[in-house]
Amino acid sequence: MTKKIFKSTVLASAAVLILGVAFVMGILYQYFGKQLNSELEKEARYLAYGVEQQGQEYLEQIKYGDSRITYIDENGNVLYDNTADENKMENHKNREEFQEALSKGKGEAVRMSDTLSEKTVYSAIRLSDNSVLRVSSTQYSVFALILQLVQPVLCIIFVMLIIAGVIASKVASKIVEPINELDLEKPGENEIYEEVAPLLGKINRQNRQIQKQLEEARRNQEEFSIITENMQEGLLVIDPYTMILSGNSSAWRIFQVNEPGIGQSVYSLDRDEDFRKVIEHVLEGKHGNALLRLDNEFVQLIANPVTRDGKIVGAVLLLMNETEKIQRENLRREFSANVSHELKTPLTSISGFAEIIQDGFVKEEDVKKFAGRIYREAQRLIQLVEDTIKISQLDEGENPYEWENVDIYSVARNVCGNLKEIAQKKNVHLYIDGERLICRTVRPIFEEILYNLCDNGIKYNKDNGTVTIHLKDIGNAIQISVEDNGIGIPREDRNRVFERFYRVDKSHSKEIGGTGLGLSIVKHGVAFLGGTLELTSEVDSGTEITVTLPKQA
Amino acid sequence: MATRFERQLEELHVQIITMGSLCEKVIALSAKAIQGEDCAGEVFETDREIDGLEREIEAICMRLLLHQQPVARDLREISAALKMISDMERIGDQAADIADLSKFIDRSVVEIPDEIARMAEKTVHMVTESIDAFVKADLALCRKVIDDDDLVDELFNQTKNKLADLIYKNMDAKAGLDLLMTAKYMERIGDHAVNIAEWVEYSITGIHRNNEHQMGGNKN
Repeated sequence: MTKKIFKSTVLASAAVLILGVAFVMGILYQYFGKQLNSELEKEARYLAYGVEQQGQEYLEQIKYGDSRITYIDENGNVLYDNTADENKMENHKNREEFQEALSKGKGEAVRMSDTLSEKTVYSAIRLSDNSVLRVSSTQYSVFALILQLVQPVLCIIFVMLIIAGVIASKVASKIVEPINELDLEKPGENEIYEEVAPLLGKINRQNRQIQKQLEEARRNQEEFSIITENMQEGLLVIDPYTMILSGNSSAWRIFQVNEPGIGQSVYSLDRDEDFRKVIEHVLEGKHGNALLRLDNEFVQLIANPVTRDGKIVGAVLLLMNETEKIQRENLRREFSANVSHELKTPLTSISGFAEIIQDGFVKEEDVKKFAGRIYREAQRLIQLVEDTIKISQLDEGENPYEWENVDIYSVARNVCGNLKEIAQKKNVHLYIDGERLICRTVRPIFEEILYNLCDNGIKYNKDNGTVTIHLKDIGNAIQISVEDNGIGIPREDRNRVFERFYRVDKSHSKEIGGTGLGLSIVKHGVAFLGGTLELTSEVDSGTEITVTLPKQA
Repeated sequence: MATRFERQLEELHVQIITMGSLCEKVIALSAKAIQGEDCAGEVFETDREIDGLEREIEAICMRLLLHQQPVARDLREISAALKMISDMERIGDQAADIADLSKFIDRSVVEIPDEIARMAEKTVHMVTESIDAFVKADLALCRKVIDDDDLVDELFNQTKNKLADLIYKNMDAKAGLDLLMTAKYMERIGDHAVNIAEWVEYSITGIHRNNEHQMGGNKN
């Protein structure tokens, strides 16, 4: 814009300058031409007067400089000329000014020289004796004048143009400056040329519209990201070249990448063959799903192609962490296998003994022994079912008992008393270490927990081993830990001993006894009482299980 | 929108990841083959797939080099890719060799030494990590792979000594030698993983550790 203003200003001033010069020159030329003519005429008249008085001698007397004076008789013969030899001059009868002077008393003529560079102006006067006096003067013609003036004029034009240029650029930038400084954010607040006002109004309207659209787009985006960010499932959108277009934080978490991999290929997240197959399929337009194994996690991948106008423009991948579900499924499967096994073993014995007795293969005196066995197995079966019921009760959160203030120390004493016999049989010593503690809890459940912990401590112990119950007050909670110096639990089993029917010793050996539900009952009981459970163990040197219960549940 | 060049570069990237993933698969399969699983056929098939991919990636690299005349990092990445795929192709070949050998080892007669299983595990891990290093452009991982090679070399020496002992103690010498070959192939696969890691390192830093004085383009 500055350029344009500058250019037109310079052009306009140049045109004005040139035209001006031309006009002035034309006018001046004409003015001076006229002046010359009248001067010549005056001179001619003056000279004519002299010649009338004194004759030709008058002419010869005057030393006249500038003008050429010619005296011609009525026949056209030159009588006198102050610049040339009159004898050599031709007859002037046919000259325009001479004829005019003869007929009208005075005549005028203008003649160009051969080169057109000069013009000669003639003024002739008829004297009383019919002779003619002619005065002429030579001046430069327009062309010559122009030619002569070209250089100075060009110089002037040049200088003027420079001045014009400087001024034009200043003016141009001055005009443009406020336009450059327009605040387009707030077009209404600008004070500027009124010609620009409609434009500003338009911009203002458009600004508002853009603002509104942006706001809407941002809200949509926000809504979308709130939805996706709060999803547990991972969500990925990819383009047909497997490039990730967007994804939520769950997706990055599932693939265990720290920063969003937007713009990378989805294969950089996982390059497992199953995964690649699904991606390839989905980009061919087929719905796909697969169960991926990422380290120790199971992730269900569901992939859907995105089509627009019948063309595949990408795919949406949904990732669900199914680890827990699969683990639960495995657990359930194991549980049912275990439960049937545990129930079947005593039943088989019972049925076997009963069959032998029925068939009469048993001697009279042995029937009692067999009945005892059947009784023991039945007891075991009852114990098993009872334990299972206990666990399911705890599972369901049912509580047939009441919350009360319980003296933990006396419960521990009780438990020790109940287990004394078993402990003596295994030659294990029981100790209680700690003070009197009162805690609001459910007595039968707590007793069950402690009983099971101590029972395990005794069962999985060595000869002459010890089991110690530590009771500790830690402010608003109590800590009961049962420590033994028995066989310990191998590292890989530590997380699993609380599972139902789980046994470190897979043979489910009968010599130790128990249902495999003890620690499971402990776990559920502690959870029911609102406490936490902690296990530390070392193979061959002992196990310590610590239960922390809040004083006011 | 990505330019054509970027698109092609990304395609190259994806193809290399695919090839890497096939390499992981092929050596995992060959390790299973030694342990007696019948998957040699799958190994050979995957090896052929790897060979095909090598040709394809080569073509992509050449197209990129000739049509786009890349410079600096892009050029490094493409040249590193050209070198990497030949290492990957070798990994495929060696896995196929291992699978081939596994057919002749009679597991009812000879017991496979633990070291071989551990070597297999370690090399699979190294290849996985070198591909990971490429995918994530992770320098630390490159260096870890390069350092891990010592462990595999050490395991190879142990295997060698153990096999020598076993053959001396009346092991079937033919089976022993086959097992030794298997171990050697594993060791070579480890070396190829190191090569891949070195090229990844080069494509990131512009310096290849084996010829720093020649390729230190960034320093000049």
